[in-house]
Amino acid sequence: MDKSYLTIIEALIFASDEPINQHLILNAIKEIDGDDINLTFDEIDRFVDDLNNKYSSLDASFRIVKVANGYLFATNPEYGKYVGYLSTEKSKRRLSQAALETLAIIAYKQPLTKPELESIRGVNCDYMISTLLEKNLITITGRSETVGRPLYYSTTNEFLKYFGLNQITDLPKPREIEEIMKDEDFLEQKQKIMMNALEENLEKEGEVDNNENHETE
Amino acid sequence: MYKIKLQYFEGPLDLLLFFIKRDELNIYDIPISKITGEFIEYLNLIKQLDLEIAGDFILMATTLMQIKVKMLLPRELDERGEEIDPRADLVKALLEYKKYKEMSEELSYFEANQRRISYRGNYSADYRISVPEYDALLKNISLYDLMKAFKKALLDQPKEIVHEINKIPVSIDEQIDFILNQITSSGELHFLELIKDIHEKIRIIVTFIALLELIKMGRIGIKTSKRFNDFIIYNLEQNG
Repeated sequence: MDKSYLTIIEALIFASDEPINQHLILNAIKEIDGDDINLTFDEIDRFVDDLNNKYSSLDASFRIVKVANGYLFATNPEYGKYVGYLSTEKSKRRLSQAALETLAIIAYKQPLTKPELESIRGVNCDYMISTLLEKNLITITGRSETVGRPLYYSTTNEFLKYFGLNQITDLPKPREIEEIMKDEDFLEQKQKIMMNALEENLEKEGEVDNNENHETE
Repeated sequence: MYKIKLQYFEGPLDLLLFFIKRDELNIYDIPISKITGEFIEYLNLIKQLDLEIAGDFILMATTLMQIKVKMLLPRELDERGEEIDPRADLVKALLEYKKYKEMSEELSYFEANQRRISYRGNYSADYRISVPEYDALLKNISLYDLMKAFKKALLDQPKEIVHEINKIPVSIDEQIDFILNQITSSGELHFLELIKDIHEKIRIIVTFIALLELIKMGRIGIKTSKRFNDFIIYNLEQNG
């Protein structure tokens, strides 16, 4: 019996071009086999893991990925070059730094309005927003009640697919500001600042200017 | 002068972070004077290259200068009586921006990984291979798509262009009578007064032609007026 669920689930996922969620899978099975069947979401998830184990033991070129709250067949990374060859320029193009920044802000603060976005980035975001809407990576999800009732933007399922995420919460948490400050990068900087300040102090006293403050930290 | 890759900066905050990193500055104790100088130097560099300076950069330049001025003044106090650092808001903005800039690097990493795998339906999702129309109609329609379509529909509507031509019944003979009437009643007349009540361009033109006609026939004369751009029409028949 279990064996047949395994292959039914495989067939359902295989037939889909879009991520298919556990709910749809369970619905389909219940519609055909009756409501009384005993299958949980967790079990479906385990079946998918079993399928993936099977594929990797067969050295298959594909596996099932968990993306955008569903399951979808995908090729393994080592075939990327070959499959990519047949894709158009559009899909080969990577997102610009500006686009990634904008997406990062929307992903973490969604839903948010253009003014909120612009105040974080410090630049006008009209073009970026229309490009991302065009690419279907973000969408309009409502209107703010604040002055001018600006539109709210959120990320889409396409966004999750593009970055290979199952849910938005799969994104690493942004580091808190204190943590950023503890960062090696900054620690290193602080050390250098201190060294410089010391050297300068020895060389010429009085002209040290702002570095004095670093010394005391 | 040092070289800077211009496209590297995503905005004024990005540029400031670059200065802070390059010169190993403490973000909590930014030497405002130095950084304002460098910032403006950079703006001048853009100007030299004849590139348009984005308003955002100019806004930041003024913000920096404002902070610079505030640094010279006695500090304002907050509700707890502590001094407010004029740089506090800028530092907050820089850290906030830095946070998301870092997250964009994370996203870039996800993107790079993801680019090596292809989902099922990869080719059909590509625009090079055409998707059947009904499929395209049903796929991923959002409010934004509907708005876009609606706007396009409105814009694409053929505009009905209506030209209205009013025929103004006017002839030289009529205007000759008109001029003679005006002159006999007042003896002489300024040209601008003659046409003062005529609104249609064509009627003014015809009146002027009628005027020339009358002069040619020797029935009226004209003489210069003290008024600028005007002349006086007088009746020759009566006077002569």
